[in-house]
Amino acid sequence: MSNRIKSLLRYGIPVVIAAVLYFTAQIVDRSQANDFTGLFLLMTLAMAWNLVGGFGGQFSLGHSIFVGVGSYATAVILTTLGWPLIPTMLVAAVMSALIGLLLAYPLLRLRGPYLAVGSLGMAVASYGWMINWNFTKASQAYAVPPAGQISLQETYQFATILLLVAVVSIIALVRSPLGLRLVALRDNEAGAASIGVKRVRTLLPVWALSGLLTGAMGAVYALQSGSLTVDATFNIQFSLDAAIVCVIGGLGTLSGPIIGSFIVYYLRKYSADFQNYALLIEAVFLVVVVRFFPSGIVGLVSKGYKAIVSRRADSSSK
Amino acid sequence: MEFVNNAVSGLLLGGLYAVAALGLSIVFGTMKLVNLAHGQLLILGAYLTSMLIGLFGGGDPLLVGVAAAVLLAVLVYPLQRYIITPVMAQGEEPPMTVTFGISVVITTLLIIFFTSSPLTSWTADYATKEWEVFGVRIRVIYLIATVVALIFILALMWILKRTAFGRQVRAASIDAEAAGLVGIDVKKTYARVMSMSAFVAAIAGVLIALSFSVAPTTGTGWLLRAFTVVVIGGLGSLPGTLFGGFIVGLVEAAGAAWVGPQYRDVIVFGVLVVILLVRPNGLFAKVAKA
Repeated sequence: MSNRIKSLLRYGIPVVIAAVLYFTAQIVDRSQANDFTGLFLLMTLAMAWNLVGGFGGQFSLGHSIFVGVGSYATAVILTTLGWPLIPTMLVAAVMSALIGLLLAYPLLRLRGPYLAVGSLGMAVASYGWMINWNFTKASQAYAVPPAGQISLQETYQFATILLLVAVVSIIALVRSPLGLRLVALRDNEAGAASIGVKRVRTLLPVWALSGLLTGAMGAVYALQSGSLTVDATFNIQFSLDAAIVCVIGGLGTLSGPIIGSFIVYYLRKYSADFQNYALLIEAVFLVVVVRFFPSGIVGLVSKGYKAIVSRRADSSSK
Repeated sequence: MEFVNNAVSGLLLGGLYAVAALGLSIVFGTMKLVNLAHGQLLILGAYLTSMLIGLFGGGDPLLVGVAAAVLLAVLVYPLQRYIITPVMAQGEEPPMTVTFGISVVITTLLIIFFTSSPLTSWTADYATKEWEVFGVRIRVIYLIATVVALIFILALMWILKRTAFGRQVRAASIDAEAAGLVGIDVKKTYARVMSMSAFVAAIAGVLIALSFSVAPTTGTGWLLRAFTVVVIGGLGSLPGTLFGGFIVGLVEAAGAAWVGPQYRDVIVFGVLVVILLVRPNGLFAKVAKA
């Protein structure tokens, strides 16, 4: 297959799938739309985190900040400036990307566990700031104004577009020279540096893109929830969810976050009736996956596939 | 006078923070493992103690706490040996994820068995007592915690520096592969270190439960505090942990007095971030080889 067809397929398939999903908004009912929105938002969050945490090897625990900034910026701009919805969400995402640059610049001095702890510190400090900031009504709920009160089906369409943007931009990034530099830095920093890969110059745009996508996810999340609280948006759980999804699916892979989101989202949905046991099941599942399937479900599947292929090759050569 | 009062109570609160952070510090210092379940180990220690007090029909929390600490150390050993250590070969992220999974398991089990309301069944007369020394109010429980922190740090340093086990731990932490080649069972050593950390954590948990309200979900808050203490002191440095505790306690007291208690978290974690930026490996990074 020629390269042109390959790259056409690479970007064409997600576009076609997204187009189909977009038009299913006409036939799904409210609760289905809400469900899929949740699933797609989790996917977007996990893919955006995976850029930094998986491909970049930087275990960020600060991504809740981006969700919070994206969602609050949307609500605040709609309320105070009265902009139309789509420009508002774009600006909210860009603000989150700028915050990403602002956080990443100092964070990039840290490595390994220090980065995890440093980003966690930033997340907790921003939570502490927001819960006291009267401009965003501190700990009280901040309602999304009528301009942002759209139907669940429309929210679902937004989530679909967002997911498409995330998938396409991440495929493009990972295949670009920047993406190669990113992975090279993760796998061997000294080696990458010796052939001229600049750490900060490589990582800053990646953090910005991750912040942009996560911020946009926060903006759609604001539309879905209709009313924001600091507890729901600046919650560290978002960073942890993203990390869990990626680890279960497969860290640093394109399909890992998508598969992991399916598993985690439906595991949560169907075990919700068991209340406390639901969390227990999820946590035990997480531990089992990390302990016995180190490269996640994607790694397991590709291993199984390779085993089948090599067995077939063996038997045909006999 | 108010200033001295705040400073002293902040300093002694820092002693409690130091005990709470010690376990985290030794685990990181020897295994380079960020144990996200540490907060839950603290809380589990408190719950085990309350269970044992119920079983014995009474007893001083701190004394019963020693029994609970032994129990917790035994419980944690197989966790490290058969779940965490095998995962540590995969890099930095997987063990963090596993310990996070374990922390959620502990929290949910505690909620299932003890409900999510705070632990109330036991206390001691020294828990709320205050002494007045030259006009300065001192909470006795904080003083006990600070003394316990000192004892533990000296004991741990003695174990690490002077005993055969300590030499094995240090060898394994410098170069696990070489340690294995000269006949040290690194996997068992790691598990013992985790048991040691759990023992300290359980005692710290009792001290925490005596001075604050404790519920299954409060572990995360303590994990964050412990992290701050350990990072400020330099991850893995035992004396650094004590100083880290004092600094966090003082910063909290100062922040609460000057800016307002509701900004406590912003200030503490703001200081953490600033310190990390200025000294990316913590303030006492040079002595991190304890």
